[in-house]
Amino acid sequence: MEYNWDFGAVWTYRGLLWTGLQNTIILAVVCLVLGLFFGLFVGAARYSTRPILNYPATAFVELFRNTPVLIQIMWFFFAFPIISPFQVDAFTAATLGLVLNTTAFSSEIFRAGIQSIAKGQWEAAKALGMTYMQQMKRVILPQAIRRMVPAFMNRAVELVKMTSLASVIAYGELMHQAKSIAAISFNPIEMYTAVAIFYFLLIFPFAILVRRLEIKFQPGS
Amino acid sequence: MTNVLEIKKLSKSFGDLKVLDAIDLTVSKGSTVVIIGASGSGKSTLLRCVNFMEIPSAGQIVLQGDLIGSGTGESMSYSDSELAKMRARVGMVFQHFNLFPHMTVKQNVMEGPRTVLKCNTAECERRADRYLEKVGLGWKADAYPSHLSGGQQQRVAIARALAMEPEVMLFDEATSALDPELVGEVLQTMKELADDGMTMLIVTHELGFAYTVADRVLFLSEGKILEQGDPEAVLINPKQEATKNFLRGHGSFRLPEPNLD
Repeated sequence: MEYNWDFGAVWTYRGLLWTGLQNTIILAVVCLVLGLFFGLFVGAARYSTRPILNYPATAFVELFRNTPVLIQIMWFFFAFPIISPFQVDAFTAATLGLVLNTTAFSSEIFRAGIQSIAKGQWEAAKALGMTYMQQMKRVILPQAIRRMVPAFMNRAVELVKMTSLASVIAYGELMHQAKSIAAISFNPIEMYTAVAIFYFLLIFPFAILVRRLEIKFQPGS
Repeated sequence: MTNVLEIKKLSKSFGDLKVLDAIDLTVSKGSTVVIIGASGSGKSTLLRCVNFMEIPSAGQIVLQGDLIGSGTGESMSYSDSELAKMRARVGMVFQHFNLFPHMTVKQNVMEGPRTVLKCNTAECERRADRYLEKVGLGWKADAYPSHLSGGQQQRVAIARALAMEPEVMLFDEATSALDPELVGEVLQTMKELADDGMTMLIVTHELGFAYTVADRVLFLSEGKILEQGDPEAVLINPKQEATKNFLRGHGSFRLPEPNLD
């Protein structure tokens, strides 16, 4: 089959695509920062042996890990404004869905990272007379964070890709811009090919970095 | 002689399992007390109860006249901050060293004085230099623990505990994880501490060391002190059948004095 590729529209609508790329990056960065921040607390609660902290944290993690992000985003956009007094715009709905999902996953990374530290490290710190916070800050986290870095980078890569789901509620990120352009210039094949390449160029350097870090932080190196 | 440590009616149970049964023990200043016994006899648990790495089920611990916790012997309660303060006064050396792998040898030794005692940098450095020198590892100050032999790591762990300038030192099978040729250097370091007048409570399987260094030897069996006395009395002329059996097991294959000239 003959198909005449025509990427002219990519150049014509470069302004729209550039806005889309910026919005993708903004959404990803905001969600990553908030997701990691909240993830630390949820992870600590998951690590806790107190039921009052542990149970809600576990319920939260399981809920958001085991439902599709697409549905979470749509739910916050369509359902949340009806059952709550808040108006939710597309950016907020997308942020809520992605932050809660990232929080759930990153809390698991924090928890697993902390649990991977040998019990003897806690004991040695405790025996010196350190308080729990001192043990965490001086001995456990410095070691655990090294082990967490590759997993967090992976999460960041996943998050950038997931931002494309925000296109379903018409948040003007890269995917949504491509969809809009394809609708007016009748060239979905070229547009989706082009944004696939943009996503790749955005994410690939990250992926390389993840691999480097994984090698660097391998146990025993 | 003043008592550094008094343990009164100390009991510890894990669920239904009674590991320690009303242990009474006093350790006077500058003395070296060695605890021996079969595995499962409760000797490590006893040591770990002294600095509350395990919380005793009942009984009292008195450090230099200070009763730790509040309440009667049957039901004591302890606050986290009180226990942290108490642990800072007691040095502990573990079977598996547990050095902090992300810190250099010197940073390991400075960590306690810096974080817990809030010493200034000059004081932290002074202590680190002094105690690393004492265990003969001043020349390894900038190395990371992973680059040290097991024996060297354990000596750093001893220096780390000493840097807190503790009132009593606890050794929990400090040589059990070491290759045989590395055991000697750690025991030698411990002996020098004993000779310096450090108050020490030691759990070990090294009976020759116990015989040479201990002021008093305790034989623990089923959570009770079955026999105690000076090394000669317990290790050479034991009275209890369980002690004899234990010593028989340890002496079943013995080298005649090797000719090392």
